[in-house]
Amino acid sequence: MGEVEKVFISGLREKLIEDKVITEQDLVPEFASEIIRYGGKDVMTCLQCGNCTGVCPISLKIEYKTRTTIKYCQFGMKSHTLSTRWVCATCYRCYEHCPADLNPAELMIALRHIAVREGIVPPFVKTAASNLLRYGLTVKPDEAMLKEREQLGLPQAAITKPGWERVKKDINTIIETTKYDRLLGITNKEEGE
Amino acid sequence: MSYAYFFGCVIPSRYPGIEYAVRWVMGPEGLKLDVSDIEEFSCCPVPGIFYSTDRDTWLALAARNLCLAQKNKSEIVTVCNGCFSSLLKATEYLSEPKVMGQTNKVLSKIGMKYTGIPERVEGSNRRVFRPVSVRHFVGIVHTDETMKALSESIKRPLKNIKVAVHYGCHYLRPTENTAIDDPNDPIKVDDIVKILGAESIEYDDKLACCGAGGGVRSHIVELANALTEDKFKNISNENADVIVTPCPFCLLQFDTAQKSFTKRGIPVVHVAQLMAIAMGADLSKLGLELHNVSCNPLLAKIGVTEVSR
Amino acid sequence: MEASPETKQPEKEVIGVFVCHCGTNIGGVVNCEKVAEIASQIPGVVVSKDLKYACSDLGQEEIRKAIKEKGLNRVVVASCSPRLHEYTFKNCVEGAGLNPYFMHMVNLREQCSWVHMKEPELATGKAANLVKMGIERSRLSTALSPREVTVEPSCLIIGGGIAGIQAALDIGDKGFKTYLVEKEPSIGGHMAQLDKTFPTGDCAICILAPKMVEVARNKNVEMLSYSEVVDIQGYVGNFTVKIRKKPRYVMEEKCVGCGVCAEKCPVKVPNEFDMGFGSRKAIYVPFPQAVPLKYTIDRENCLHFKTGKCQLCVKACVNEAIDHKQEPEEIELKVGTVIVATGFDVYTPTRKGVYRYWEYKNVITALELERLINAAGPTGGHLVRPSDGVEPQRIAFIQCVGSRNLKIANKYCSRVCCMYAMKNSQIIMEHSPDAEIAIYYNDIRAFGKGFEELYHRVREDYGIEFIRGRPAKLTKDPVTENITIRAEETLLAKITEREFDLVVLSVGLIPNPGTAPVQKMLSLPVSDDGFLAESHPKLRPVETAIEGVFICGCAQGPKDIPDSVAQAKAAASAASTLMIKGKHIVEPLYANVNEELCVGCGLCAELCPYHAIEIAEKDGQSKAVVTEALCHGCGTCAAGCPQHAINQLQFTDQQLMNELTAALAAKNSAGGE
Repeated sequence: MGEVEKVFISGLREKLIEDKVITEQDLVPEFASEIIRYGGKDVMTCLQCGNCTGVCPISLKIEYKTRTTIKYCQFGMKSHTLSTRWVCATCYRCYEHCPADLNPAELMIALRHIAVREGIVPPFVKTAASNLLRYGLTVKPDEAMLKEREQLGLPQAAITKPGWERVKKDINTIIETTKYDRLLGITNKEEGE
Repeated sequence: MSYAYFFGCVIPSRYPGIEYAVRWVMGPEGLKLDVSDIEEFSCCPVPGIFYSTDRDTWLALAARNLCLAQKNKSEIVTVCNGCFSSLLKATEYLSEPKVMGQTNKVLSKIGMKYTGIPERVEGSNRRVFRPVSVRHFVGIVHTDETMKALSESIKRPLKNIKVAVHYGCHYLRPTENTAIDDPNDPIKVDDIVKILGAESIEYDDKLACCGAGGGVRSHIVELANALTEDKFKNISNENADVIVTPCPFCLLQFDTAQKSFTKRGIPVVHVAQLMAIAMGADLSKLGLELHNVSCNPLLAKIGVTEVSR
Repeated sequence: MEASPETKQPEKEVIGVFVCHCGTNIGGVVNCEKVAEIASQIPGVVVSKDLKYACSDLGQEEIRKAIKEKGLNRVVVASCSPRLHEYTFKNCVEGAGLNPYFMHMVNLREQCSWVHMKEPELATGKAANLVKMGIERSRLSTALSPREVTVEPSCLIIGGGIAGIQAALDIGDKGFKTYLVEKEPSIGGHMAQLDKTFPTGDCAICILAPKMVEVARNKNVEMLSYSEVVDIQGYVGNFTVKIRKKPRYVMEEKCVGCGVCAEKCPVKVPNEFDMGFGSRKAIYVPFPQAVPLKYTIDRENCLHFKTGKCQLCVKACVNEAIDHKQEPEEIELKVGTVIVATGFDVYTPTRKGVYRYWEYKNVITALELERLINAAGPTGGHLVRPSDGVEPQRIAFIQCVGSRNLKIANKYCSRVCCMYAMKNSQIIMEHSPDAEIAIYYNDIRAFGKGFEELYHRVREDYGIEFIRGRPAKLTKDPVTENITIRAEETLLAKITEREFDLVVLSVGLIPNPGTAPVQKMLSLPVSDDGFLAESHPKLRPVETAIEGVFICGCAQGPKDIPDSVAQAKAAASAASTLMIKGKHIVEPLYANVNEELCVGCGLCAELCPYHAIEIAEKDGQSKAVVTEALCHGCGTCAAGCPQHAINQLQFTDQQLMNELTAALAAKNSAGGE
C-alpha cells in the first residue's frame, strides 16, 4: 500500500492537501514593497526568464535559485524567503546578464536588511560588526602579524598608535547614532567582560 | 592631485606583504607616484556585512573615510576590490543631495561633513565640489604613462610564466553605474601581466566568483570552497603557474581553500606582488612565505632563489 | 476642413469652457465640476460646463448648442492631448459656425490626471490653472483659413520589399504614376530569402515572385532597382526627388538575363543573399527569380576593375550588354506623395555575446537557417551544420536574441521570432523526422490568425520541446563542435546542461540601415524603438507627422508578412486619397515674418528643420521668406529669431505671454514659493 493511499484511508486527506497548498494566510502581500523600500527596486519587474539562475555560481552548487527567490518575493512568501541562508556572493553576474537590466543582487541585499530587522542575524555578521566596535577594524592584526610587519619594514600599524582611540570612538559614535548596535544586538565590550 | 593609500582590513591583518609590494611599486623605487598615508582610515566598511544589513550605517562609516580624504585633498588608492566597491558606491550614494544631508547629520556627531573637494571653476569665482575620487590600484597603474614606466622598469622578466588572472567580482562591477574595465571582457590586469613578460592564459569561466564574497566564506565556508574548487579545476587544466588577483579577499580565499581539495596547490599572489617581483623588489619583503600555498615553485621558475626564513 | 464660415475677427471675447471627465481618466482624479466652477468666474466666460465625454456625439452637441445659444466666439476644451481630438473639436465648432481656430484645447489628461494620480487635490488645482492659462491664451486667437495646395498625381515608394511591392501595385492599379526605388539589384527584400511562411507553410518565393513580376509589368510602375534616393525637397503634393542609379556595368535594356556571363566569370565570392553560405560570381543575379532579371557586376570583386584585364564576360555576352565604363546616373522626379517602406534588418549578435555567434560555427542566426533549409538555397534545402556539413539531429532555438533586451537597448518584442522558430522546426522535422528540437523561450507570442494552432501542431505532430528559460552559457566541445547549453528550466527550477548539434539564434528585427538617411531627408519622427513613428498609434497608422509621407511594413516596426501587406495597402490607399483629390488643405499654423523687423541674418533658415525658410532679396534687402506649405509650425524659428521678427500663428509671443502671466498669477494666488 503506497504512502498516499495510507493517508487517504486514515482520513488525513484534508491534512495532506493543506500542507501542499499555499494559501493567502501564508503570504505577506506587502513583502514586495518592503523589499523595494530596502533597495530591491526591481522585484516586481522580473519576468522570470531564469538567466540569472544560469549565471549564478551559487545556484549551480546548492538548492538555491536566484529566479525562484525573486518569485517568492513577488508572491509574498516572506517567512520562506527569509529563512533561506545567506548564500548570495554578490558577484553581480545576474545583473550583468539580466536582459531586463534588473539587479537581483541588490534584491538579495534588501532581503538581508529585512532579515536582520526580523531578528535573523547570522553570527558572522555580529562578529565582524562587534570587531569594528571594539578594534576599529573588522579584522584585527594579531601579535604575530604585527611582528611580521616589523620584519618587512612596514610602518607601524595605525591601530597600535595612540591616535587610534579617537578613530574607535568616532566609529562607536556613528554606530550608536544609526542604532546599528541595537539592530544587531552587539556591544563594544569584549566577551566575558 | 596626490594619492592616499587605503589598505583596509585584510591586507594589514593577513597579507602584509601586499602592503609592502604596493608601497614599493608606487614609491620612489618603483613608479614614483605621490602617495601618502592617512592613519585614521578604518574599515571601508565591508560591503558583505554593512552594506548588506544597514545602508545608513554603511554609508556613514564609508563617508567618514571619504571625509578624511576630502580634508587631505587626496584620491583614495584602494588595493582591495571590496574597499574599492564600498567606497566608490558611497561616493555615488552621496551625490544624491538628500542622502548627503542625512549622512552629514550622522557625521556631525563626530565633527565631520562630507561635501566633496571644493574646486574653483577656472576663470570665475564659482566653486564646485568634486566627489572624492576612489581609485583601484589597477586603474592607477593601467594608464599609458605608467604602463610605459612599468615596461621600462622590469628587472626580472617573467618569461615562460603562465598566469591565470582572476579579476574578482567587485573589480568588474564595483557599482551599478560605474565600471573601470569591461565587466564582460576585462583586460587591465591581463595587460599588466603581459607587460611583466608573463603569459596570461585563457581559462573557462574566467569571470566566475572566487566564492568568498557577500559573506559566503564567513557563513558557509564549504560552499565558498566548492566554488573555488570549480575555478581551480579550470585554472589547473591550463597548467597555470600562478593565480594573480587584484583583490586580497579573493587571494585569501584561493590561498586558504586550496588545501581543502588539492595537495598540489597553485600559488596565489596579488597583482602588486607580481609587479614587485618583476620590478626587482627584495623578495624577502613581499611576505610570500606567509601564503598558505608555497610560492617557491613560481620563484624557481622565474629563476630567483627561494625565500625562506 | 473646407473653407471656414467665419474669418472675421470678433471684437469681444465670449468664452465657453468645457471640462471633460474622459470617463474616469480625468474625472477619477481631477474634480472637473470644481474646475468648471472656477473657470466660470473668469471675465468673459459665459458658459463653463463639465462633460462626461466631450468627444462623444452628446458632448459635441453640448458644445455646438452653447455656441449657438450664447453666441460663443471662443471655445476652450479641457480634455486630452490635441494629438487625439483637436481635429474632432475643430470640426465640432466649425459645425456651429465658428472659425475652428477659435477652439483651444487644454490637456488635462496626459499632462495632469495621468501624472498626478495620487494627488487629486493638487491635480485639481493644476487643472484649474491650466484652464485659466488656456482661457487667457485663447483671447488672442485669430481666425485663420486653411490653404490649398495641388497634389502631383504620382508617388515615390522607397523600398522594394513585400510592403513596397504591394503599395506600388495598389497605386499603379489605381492609375497613378509610381516610382519603386530599391537599393539592391533585385526587388523582393527579405521575404525572397525566406523558405516557408508561417503559419500556413506557403513557400515564400512562390507567392512573392508573381507579385514581383506583376509589379515589373505594371505600366504605371517605374522600377528603379540598384538605386538610392539621395535627396527629397518640397512638401505635400510637390516633392522633388533626386535618385542615384548605381552603375550595374550591364546595360539593362540589352541584358536578357541568360547568365552566360556568370558562367564565364572566374571570380567566386560568398553570396550575401545566402547569408554567405552559398557563392556567386562577380557578375551575378542574387537569386534566380530576381526582378529585374538583369546581371550586375560587383565592382569590389570584378577582376577587370582590379587588374584592368579579364573581360571574359564581355566576350561571352552576345548582346554586348556589358559596359565597364558605366557611370552613376542621377534622376530627378516630381511626385505628390511618398511611401517609405525601407523595411528591417536582422539583429546581429554582438562579438562578445554569451551566445558565441562569432566564435562557434554551429551557432547560426535564424535568417542563415532560412537559407540552409531553402530548396533554392546553397544546400538545396538539405540542412547541414556549418562545422562539418553533417545533418544535425539535435537542434536548439534560442528566442529573444536582440529583442526584449534592455542591455542592448532593444526593449521591444520583434513579433515574428516565436512563430518563425516554430515554422522552421516544422520544416526541419518534415525533412528529418528523427531530429530532436528544443525551443528555449521566455514567453510564446502566438497571437495571430492560425498562430496558436501552429503552436499546438508543432507539439502534437512533431514533439517539439518548449523549454522556458533563457540560456546562460554556451560551450563548445573542442572535438565534435557540438554546443552545450546551460540554462535554468524555469518551470522545473533546475539548471540543465544539454548538448546540441546546432543552435539557432532567433534574432529580432531592427530598423534597416537604409531607413536613417531617408528619415533625415524627410525629417520623419522616430519612435523609442528606433523605427519610424506613425501619426497616431491607433487611428493614423500609416500617416506620418509629415503630410504626404506615409510609412508601411517593417520600417514602422517589426511585423509579419500579412501585417506588412495590410499596411502597404493602407498606405497606398491613404496616398491615393490625396492624389485623387488633387489638392490638399494645409494647416495655416505657419511662421509669419514681420519684414520691418527682419534683418535677413539667416539664422531662422539655418534652424528650420524642414528647410521651409529661405533668405531672399526684397527691394534690395535680405528678408526671410517662409514657404508656407513646407512650414510645420514647430516654432523653432520664432524662438530663435534675435529680432523677434517671426511670429508663429496661434502661438504669438503675446499669446504665450498671456498664458505665462496667467500661470504666474495662479502661482502667486496659491501662495507659491
